[in-house]
Amino acid sequence: MSAVTPVRARPGAISLRRSWSWTNAVTAFILVALIIADLSIQPALGNLVQIGLLVETALPLILLAVAQTFVVLVGGIDLSVGGMYVVTNAITVQWVGLHGGAHQWLLLVALGFGLAMGALNGLLVVRFGFQPFIATLGTWTIFNGIALLILPTDGGSPPPLLTNLLAGQVAGIPSAIVILVAIFVLWRGLRATRFGVRMYAVGADEERARLNGTPVRSIKLAVYVIAGMCAALAGIYAAAANASGTPTGGDAYILTSVAAVVIGGTSLRGGEGGVGLTLMAAMSLTLINDIVGAENLNTWVSVAAGAALLLALVIARTLVDAVIARRGHS
Amino acid sequence: MTQLDWLRERRSTLLAYALTVALFLVGVIHSSAFASASSIRQMLVFASFVGIAALGQTLVILAGGLDLSVPWLMAFGGVELSRLSHSGTPAGVGIVIVIAIGIAIGVLNGIGVTRLRVPPIVMTLAMGGLIQSYLLAVGQLSSTGDAVPSAAVDLASNRVGPIPVIAIVWLVVAIAAGLLISRTAFGRRVHATGENEVAASLSGIRVDRIRLATYAISGGASAFGGTVLAGYVGTTYLEIGAPYLFASIAAVVVGGASILGGRGTYWGTVAGALTLTVLSSLLPLFHLRTADLDIVYGVVILLGVWLSGAGQTLGGVRLRTGKPLDKQLTSEAGSDAAR
Repeated sequence: MSAVTPVRARPGAISLRRSWSWTNAVTAFILVALIIADLSIQPALGNLVQIGLLVETALPLILLAVAQTFVVLVGGIDLSVGGMYVVTNAITVQWVGLHGGAHQWLLLVALGFGLAMGALNGLLVVRFGFQPFIATLGTWTIFNGIALLILPTDGGSPPPLLTNLLAGQVAGIPSAIVILVAIFVLWRGLRATRFGVRMYAVGADEERARLNGTPVRSIKLAVYVIAGMCAALAGIYAAAANASGTPTGGDAYILTSVAAVVIGGTSLRGGEGGVGLTLMAAMSLTLINDIVGAENLNTWVSVAAGAALLLALVIARTLVDAVIARRGHS
Repeated sequence: MTQLDWLRERRSTLLAYALTVALFLVGVIHSSAFASASSIRQMLVFASFVGIAALGQTLVILAGGLDLSVPWLMAFGGVELSRLSHSGTPAGVGIVIVIAIGIAIGVLNGIGVTRLRVPPIVMTLAMGGLIQSYLLAVGQLSSTGDAVPSAAVDLASNRVGPIPVIAIVWLVVAIAAGLLISRTAFGRRVHATGENEVAASLSGIRVDRIRLATYAISGGASAFGGTVLAGYVGTTYLEIGAPYLFASIAAVVVGGASILGGRGTYWGTVAGALTLTVLSSLLPLFHLRTADLDIVYGVVILLGVWLSGAGQTLGGVRLRTGKPLDKQLTSEAGSDAAR
């Protein structure tokens, strides 16, 4: 019976490792190529303030794609990232910002919501045995509804302190860049911990991880909670950056976040890839938009470029994996 | 298929119909106008759109895949029909052309998934992006949209006696699809492919062709759904299909199909489409807003799936179909040798 299969050694495991650095290099190459292209079109981009603005545009997508990466790494998928984003976005502009920012502590409530929503997804998956796709399909629309209850239409205003903090500078460096670097550093740190190692083990082979004594359920639950927190940070950040909130703007991010994860090179099967790759891919997607905007091209160009990039990379990786696997077997 | 599976399949379908009837009764008890001819007609029309959009989705999911390009195919159907009729093509011919292009797009999805081994989510997501960019490019579409040929409007809004034409079309499509899935060799092969691709392949089923066919049908059905939807709304616009990504998948899973493939029927999806439609018609009666509707929708989907047991993993270790077939085959063969 096929149910036992995952326990056994995967013949492809070694070749997957080998193609891994190749994937890394391609993702980095695309980012560098796009940076050079953008700089050659707009030489003015080459200063910290302009880069900061670019990163600021990218950060909501980056944070949501990071959330998606965690879930995908353990072999799941989270369709509700857009829902968690709009709930916390709405809370930030409506509850926190309502009295001129007199209740900054309510930001903790927004984070708490992120934690609770992530935990709900996690519990549906690990306690009630829902497929991640179905569980988050359901919670996606539930969270969208909650966001509409809090903020019926676009508008509201974030607390001024938050705007100054997140859209401002830290020691001369735009906050957005500081946040981007912080995400990467935190990720590297987390990856080195026992939790990080176990997360990869669960994604690579859940059954074997279970047999090795890894608390699979707790790891998965924690991953969904982390995703909820990341989505909450995205919602809070977008409120500050846009100086306004939206209860419906999350849906557009759901599939884009998956696209960023896949373009980066994180496998939808779990256990391979990471946040670093996703950061590069999300920046690449933002750069494509930036170039299309600078060249005054129609929007369709950036949509087509994103889709074509996604397809081309996935197909190329599959082909190279097949070649490497064939060579490895002979 | 064991007898237990057979019973379980019927159970979740019956459960979905029971849910439809129960929700309908709630509406009737609250207000007798809910059972009026015009109210029922309205619900049937809306359910037809969901049902047609979910037809291909049912087949694709049954065979172990997923089609995220449905909403863009629907938008494409409406837009392309308007474009064709502007250039003087008769509406009937236009609809046929649109369906043919939809099938061709579905075939491309199928080739990507089966030949190029792209995971279904990625393939159909990228295809949706490409269709979207095409629509943006050709139309310079504004949200006001283009006019739709009158034949499509007639198809969507005319009636035969008391029954809307579109509902009759859906009924015919549903019977055909139901029989195709439950009573033909093709249907059995779709089930077998979704149940266990390796076993199906070893027993001589050409699983790649089966999966490709499901995407092709999904492409054609979604494009057709788009033409009648545009006919009903009266204009076309880019986001016209957007609600149907969620609705098509939700109808399938509320109807008791397994998202992992291998289990489900189109009768179940019909019940799912009716349930979702009655539910959304019901909530305004209780003065609920979009926000409440969204929340109730989500809860009902989770509850429906929970009750039918369809969304759950069985033992949590079933192989996913995103894994290339040759990898599955090699790991199976390797393990046999090791034994």
